[in-house]
Amino acid sequence: MTNPLILIIEDEAPLRRFLVPTLSTQGYQVDVASTGAEGLALARSYNPDIILLDLGLPDRDGLEVLRDLRDWSRKPILVISARHQEKDKVGALDLGADDYLTKPFGAAELLARIRVALRHAVLPGRETPVLTFGSLCLDLEKREVAMDTVPVKLTPLEYRLLEALARRAGKVVTHAQLLNDVWGPTGEGQTHYLRIYMGTLRRKIEPDPTRPRYLLTEPSVGYRLNVD
Amino acid sequence: MTLDSSPAPGPIVVALGSDARSLRLVHAGFRVARERGLPWVVAHVDAPGWETPEEADLARVWLQEAQELGAEALWLKGPTVVAGLLALARKRAPSLIVMGVTRARGPWDRLESSRVKEMLGRHLDVRILPIPLDSAPPAALAWRNLGDLAGIAAAVTVILAMAGLFAAALAQVLGFAALPAVFALALAFILHRWGRPVAAAATLASFALHGVLLHRPFLGEPASAWPRSVAFAAAVLGAQGLVDLVGQLRQETRLGRRREAETVLLMLLGRGLARCATARDVAEVLVRRLGSAFQAEAWVLLPAEGDAWDRLPGGDGAPPCAPPSELLPESGAGASREDPLEPFFEAPCSFVPLAGTGGTAGLLQIRPASGGRVPQERWGLLQAFAVQGSLALERIRAMETAHRVRIENETERMRSTLLGAVSHDLRTPLAAIQGAATSLLLPEGALPEASRRDLIVMIREESERLTRLLGNVLDLTRLESGIIRVRKEWQPLDEVVGSTLVRLERQGPVPVRVLMPDDLPPVPLDGGLMEQVLENLLVNARHHAGDGEVLLEAWAEPDSMELAVSDRGPGVRAGFHARVFEKFFRMPGQLRDGGAGLGLAICEAIVKAHGGSIWVEDREGGGARFRISLPQDAPPPLLSEPEPVPPEPVP
Repeated sequence: MTNPLILIIEDEAPLRRFLVPTLSTQGYQVDVASTGAEGLALARSYNPDIILLDLGLPDRDGLEVLRDLRDWSRKPILVISARHQEKDKVGALDLGADDYLTKPFGAAELLARIRVALRHAVLPGRETPVLTFGSLCLDLEKREVAMDTVPVKLTPLEYRLLEALARRAGKVVTHAQLLNDVWGPTGEGQTHYLRIYMGTLRRKIEPDPTRPRYLLTEPSVGYRLNVD
Repeated sequence: MTLDSSPAPGPIVVALGSDARSLRLVHAGFRVARERGLPWVVAHVDAPGWETPEEADLARVWLQEAQELGAEALWLKGPTVVAGLLALARKRAPSLIVMGVTRARGPWDRLESSRVKEMLGRHLDVRILPIPLDSAPPAALAWRNLGDLAGIAAAVTVILAMAGLFAAALAQVLGFAALPAVFALALAFILHRWGRPVAAAATLASFALHGVLLHRPFLGEPASAWPRSVAFAAAVLGAQGLVDLVGQLRQETRLGRRREAETVLLMLLGRGLARCATARDVAEVLVRRLGSAFQAEAWVLLPAEGDAWDRLPGGDGAPPCAPPSELLPESGAGASREDPLEPFFEAPCSFVPLAGTGGTAGLLQIRPASGGRVPQERWGLLQAFAVQGSLALERIRAMETAHRVRIENETERMRSTLLGAVSHDLRTPLAAIQGAATSLLLPEGALPEASRRDLIVMIREESERLTRLLGNVLDLTRLESGIIRVRKEWQPLDEVVGSTLVRLERQGPVPVRVLMPDDLPPVPLDGGLMEQVLENLLVNARHHAGDGEVLLEAWAEPDSMELAVSDRGPGVRAGFHARVFEKFFRMPGQLRDGGAGLGLAICEAIVKAHGGSIWVEDREGGGARFRISLPQDAPPPLLSEPEPVPPEPVP
């Protein structure tokens, strides 16, 4: 397999100056666009393996660019947003972005997110009935959960919640996506149910619920099942 | 008069006249009703032929005023005032009737005070509270229809016949010289009572009667008609002069009464306007007062965007005519006219500019219910209304300007404090970063590898500090200006605590012990914001406690959720417990160690936005203990339902 191609759509020069060498030295091929239009054109021409998309672009709304990309591409998209753009962040994830990074961020965090996104992009093709995350084991066929091989008894709702997160392990799943997966259309806007069930789920799975290792909260956005 | 002895006291009834002084009755009734804690009724009896339409209008104004004071207002019809009041007294069994009395000066003035006597004569089981009005005599009754005319003709005929008989009797004693005096007296009375046209007719009749009497043989030898007729004419003219004088006096009294009524109307307007806080309030008061004083529909036009007027009250109803182009805002709303306050008539409405010292604030538009224009004799009152209205509008504009200036000053002051404090805190890390970067760029080999790494670590740490500071400044500004809205959602507290700890641990180990019962009920809060509060408190505690353990506790009270973050640091010095929450506050004598003094201010802003409170106390055994109390006023949502559908419990 050749080195993965990363497309960076980012208008700020200092950030590009930081991103391009950082990613190149890690063995990725890098392509850069400074506007939304240019980014879309490059994405169509080269079909990159992963796209880093800044939401604050000069020519077009980042969310629009994301929608255009998602019209034809299923490749992972990592959104970069400034602070205090929680709404855009959630909007981007709901539109199909795989993950987000808030500026400013460090190189280590960026590389970790890219690795997760690339690994996840390969996963769905060969879905296994049994998923394992550290000591947590999830059997999708038998609908059974075990912690250190000790079975954990979950209510149907709790199981559905865990499964929804496990199917997108490592990725941020927004409140809206989880509510829709677990409760269906009636769950819309009922975030407090989600939070409360997440609390009971944590007490059953986490060794120390006040320092969660598996079920991580992404403040104001959603949850993530930790795979590290 | 019988004593009030009924077990359940009836209401206080105020018998309202149409005199400007009747307002005293309203106020007396208000006082009595308040003293006794009874409901009160203000009633006006509309008896035919008793009052002019103008007076009836005034009575309506008083009724409205009484209604605003909390009275029930009644407009009754009755054959006489007393009959109407008696009917009301029978129906409502009042505990007290408030009535006006006047000092009687002549036979006609007895009419008002006699009503009280008449009421008393009916032996009602009710007390009457007479309020002295000392009013001028009632205005002359005007005849208005043919029925009245017939009555008047009959009365005049009787009077003249009696005068003729009396004159004939007197002439037998005193001679013919007495005749003109008797007739002049009768005519003076007729003129006074029914006015000039009736008196003219009566004069002709009495002249004929006089002529007849002159030639009656039983009165002695017929006198020569000429000198007698001249004497008769002189006497009649003299009587007429006297009556004119009385009439003039009466006219002046009426004018005086009207002026008094206008003064009261203006007083009511002024009182209403004084309570107004917005231009809309002013418009509403003006419209209501104009409506009742002029029996008219009224609107206030205030300048809107562009060259248009905002018509208040909006409402529906027939579209009133547009103001003339001369009065549009672009042409200075009539400022170029000779008298800017002169009412402008454009059928069927009249317009008066609300002209004040700072130009025209708007227009008054008025459409009398009777149609036609506002009569010229009432222009003065209309203009007084306009002037009062424009003054009130000016006052409100000045108030708004003062308020805006105060806010701008406040913002400016805050901005400069912020800038002053922030610029220092920005410069320190920037200097470090710049220094480190330039050192690293020195020719190769000048720095040993360990020092190079140190500098790079410093660059990272200082930039993180800059990021934190900037975030804090932004957050505080947004919190204070209300850009950040608290979005409360029911959630378990351990989620907030968990995500805070996970985030903090990414930056290094956090020796925090968490004491939280498992069955803690969910709390309504904004997770993102509350996480920031906890983070600031924990970072603060870790900073001051050194290596000592930090304790995070949470417990539920019946109406609140309580939190405490305690450390074993030096604690807060006496006298600074409240000041540590101030912006840019640093403990005196303490090293400037990276914090800008915003963390706790942000905590306070967020907790307050949740309706809660935050404070610091001394921990037993040493150290500081930061306490948060969050209200839990509604029960948490139930989870037993199979499908979550209830509405959001917290706005």
